[in-house]
Parts: sequence; C-alpha cells; structure tokens
Amino acid sequence: MKQTLLGALGIALFLAAWELVGRTQLLGISWPPLSDVLGMLADPGRRSLFQRAIGATLDSTAMGYLWGTGAGLALAALAHLVPPLRRGSDRLAAVLNSVPSIALGPIFLVLLTRESTPAAVSSIHVFFIVFVSVSSGLQRATPAHRDLFAVLGADRVKRFARLELPAALPSLVSGLRLAWPAALIGAIIGEWFGAPRGIGILIINAMQNFQIVLLWCAVLLAVGASLFFYGLLTLLERAAYARFG
Amino acid sequence: MRPFLVRLIEDYWGILLLLFAWEGWVIANSFNPIVMPTPTAVLNDLVTHPMVYLGNVGITLAVAVFGLVAGMAVGTGLAVAAWFSPVASGLLNPLTVLFSSVPVVALIPVIARLLGYDTSTVLAIVVIITFFPSFVFASSGLRQPPPGSEDLFRVLGASRLDLLRRLALPAAMPNLAIAFKLAAAHAILAAMVAEFLMGTTGLGYLFAKTKSDFQTEQAFGASLVATVISASAFLAAGWVEKKVRERYT
Repeated sequence: MKQTLLGALGIALFLAAWELVGRTQLLGISWPPLSDVLGMLADPGRRSLFQRAIGATLDSTAMGYLWGTGAGLALAALAHLVPPLRRGSDRLAAVLNSVPSIALGPIFLVLLTRESTPAAVSSIHVFFIVFVSVSSGLQRATPAHRDLFAVLGADRVKRFARLELPAALPSLVSGLRLAWPAALIGAIIGEWFGAPRGIGILIINAMQNFQIVLLWCAVLLAVGASLFFYGLLTLLERAAYARFG
Repeated sequence: MRPFLVRLIEDYWGILLLLFAWEGWVIANSFNPIVMPTPTAVLNDLVTHPMVYLGNVGITLAVAVFGLVAGMAVGTGLAVAAWFSPVASGLLNPLTVLFSSVPVVALIPVIARLLGYDTSTVLAIVVIITFFPSFVFASSGLRQPPPGSEDLFRVLGASRLDLLRRLALPAAMPNLAIAFKLAAAHAILAAMVAEFLMGTTGLGYLFAKTKSDFQTEQAFGASLVATVISASAFLAAGWVEKKVRERYT
C-alpha cells in the first residue's frame, strides 16, 4: 500500500516537473509543457491525423509481431529437434539481431513493398527475442519428466509436443512481452524508409520541420501504444506462470 | 577437435545460407548495384577502401564504449542510491518500469532537439539507452541476496555500507552482467541510429551519406561492419556474463 502510494507520488512528481520545466522554458523551446502536448493530442482537428498514424503503425507492428513470433518459434523448434543445427541457428539469430535496423529498411524496400517494410523490420526484432526465450524455455523440462516419457514409450515428436513445448510456454510469454516494445521500434524505424503514413513518419516530419509539440505528441502516442500492450502482455505472462510455471 | 569444414558448416550454416541466397537473388534478378549489390561486391569495397570505414568505425566505437560505460555507471550508481533510501526507491520504481518499456528510439529525435545536432548528443543518447537496463537489473539484483544472509549480516553488526559492499553488490553482479550483455549490442546500434538521423559523424552517418549518393556498396559495407562489431560485442558480452555468473554464484 505504502509502495503504491510512493509510486503514484513518483509519477506525479515526474509529470509536475515536466510541466514546470516546460512552463519556465528551463531547457529551451524544445521542451514544451505537458499541458500543451496533451492539448494538441486532444484537439479534434488533429484527431484523424493521429488516428491514421497510430493505426498504420499498430497494423505494421502487429503484422511484424506475428511473423517474427512464427519465425522465432519455427527456428527454435527446428534447432531443438535437430541438435546438429543448434549452434548454427544460434549464430544466425545473433547476427540477424546485430544488423542495424537502418540497414534492414533499404533491404526490405527492395525485397518487399514500401507498405510492408515496417512490418518486416519489426519482425526481425521480434524473431530474435522469441527465438532466444523459446530456445531456453525448451530446455526447462526436468530430466525426471524426460525419463518418464521415455519409459512410457513416447517418441521424439510426442515428447516435444506434450512435454517440452508446454514447459517452454512461460518463457515464450515473457519473450512476447519483451518483444512488444522492440516490435514497435522496428515498425517506427521501418517507416522512415518511405512508408505512406505512421508514427515514424510523423516523428521524422515534426523533427525536420521544428514542430516541437507535434513531435512530442507523436512520441507520447508511441509510448502509450507501447505501455498499453506491454501491460496487457504482463497480465498474460502472470496467467501463464500461474498455469505452467 | 572437429574437422575445420564440419565446424564451419555446423556453426555458420545459417549465415552462409543467407549470404548465398543474397548473392543468388541479386544475380537472378540482375539488380543494378545501386539498388542492391552482391555480398561479394560489398566485401570488395570493404577491402579496397578500408580507410573510409576505419575512421568512422573508430568514432562510432568510441561513442558506444564511452556511452555504455557512463550509462552503466549512472544506472548502477542510482540503483545503489535507491537501495540506501526506501523512499527514493519507492518513488523511482514505477517510473523505471514505465521507462524500460518505452520505445527508446522514438526518443532520439526529442533528445536531438534538446541537445543539438552533434556527436556529444549521440553520446548522450547511448548513455540514456544503456542507463535503463543497468538501473532496472542492478536494482533488482541488490534486493535479492541469498535468503537469510541479510539477517546474518545484521546479527553480526554489519553497517549499511558493509552490507552494500560485501553482500548486496556481489549479489547484484550476475544481474549487472545481464544488463551489460543487453546494453553492449544496443549501444552500437543506438549510436548508429542517432548518427543516421542527425548526420554528424560515424558509421550511421557514412550509411546515410553513401546511400543518398547512390554508393550503395559502401552503405552496405558500413552496415556489414556494424553487424560484425555488434555481433562480436554480443558474443563477448555473453562470455563476460558467463564468467561473472560462475564467479559470483
């Protein structure tokens, strides 16, 4: 109870400091007061602009999230079922994760279309996190359980489906939670390479045209989208740990 | 020892497959090198113009390393400060949870506007981005000493400072190592995104400039170099993490 109060107080202090710094222009005109930013976000005249931007970004993020999760799961399962492939797939995942996102943009632009580049960049971010968390989750089944499955005559595939995959579920869900902000970042960077609309476009345009309040609006929208789904996934994670942990 | 060729294929089949697919795909579509060069052309450019890359690699690497060290120092320092004061940690906890799930790349334009467009801003961005994981992981590590050990320290009359030096900090080391691993690969990529957006110096700038000049081979060369550095940083940090975990648990 005391912790919650303190936490709420901490957030309130942060927001108050933000407003104060903006009002007194302590950090110059690049730091607008919170009330100005919220005012613009609530402005009915701009609502359709914001809605289109966040809608496009969320679409790309969701798509990239699905592709990345599928690819991460597939490679982790393949490496688990065919052990000789394991070292190579670890390295492949590490290298793919190390390619700078700004370099992924132009590659996907040639491979795919302008519209699907954000989702593709986003899927690479998600892929790595899901691959790492599922790979480690698949190792979590205890030797005693493995022995039991062997004694009862389960083959490799059955053991995978009935024992190892359920044991990996909590790690998968943790990975999914951590992957969401990464997916959003990927979509935003992907949009810099010619997407027709989105939060990334809004951020770049506002930055280059010195529309400071608009820039902060776009950033706040991105942060809001990140936190909202991150919160949802945290709840899902608790449920998964309660059932399978 | 496995024979060299077997080891090469076992460890790098995925990467080799990717490179061959890339080469084959470019040749099959007969892309203009401005649109998409082959990996051999990119490698060729790397070998023939090493000096173009070297200077920029130095800058990006220096910014990333300084930023990483500073970010981890600030993050750990604040975590220790919060450890001393329950009120401070109560105030800071939800804020850091909030901030650690914020898409930090979205903040780069804001920080750039606040601090101006130069290399010190890139450094500040790397510091901020590496600060969050080190603060979050250090805080939770400081609070997880082995069960009962804290009571033992108190019974033996240890001061708060002794408790920090001899119990909480060693207990936090494995967590700090995880934060280091997460932050090390991020530091270089964050520096590159910042350089790309602000057009100052370094690998990100080289990428942006060569790409708009249609020197696509050099742009890909810059990305390739960044990939290799970042992957090596990730592997090296993983090794450090393993050593620290063995030493402190």
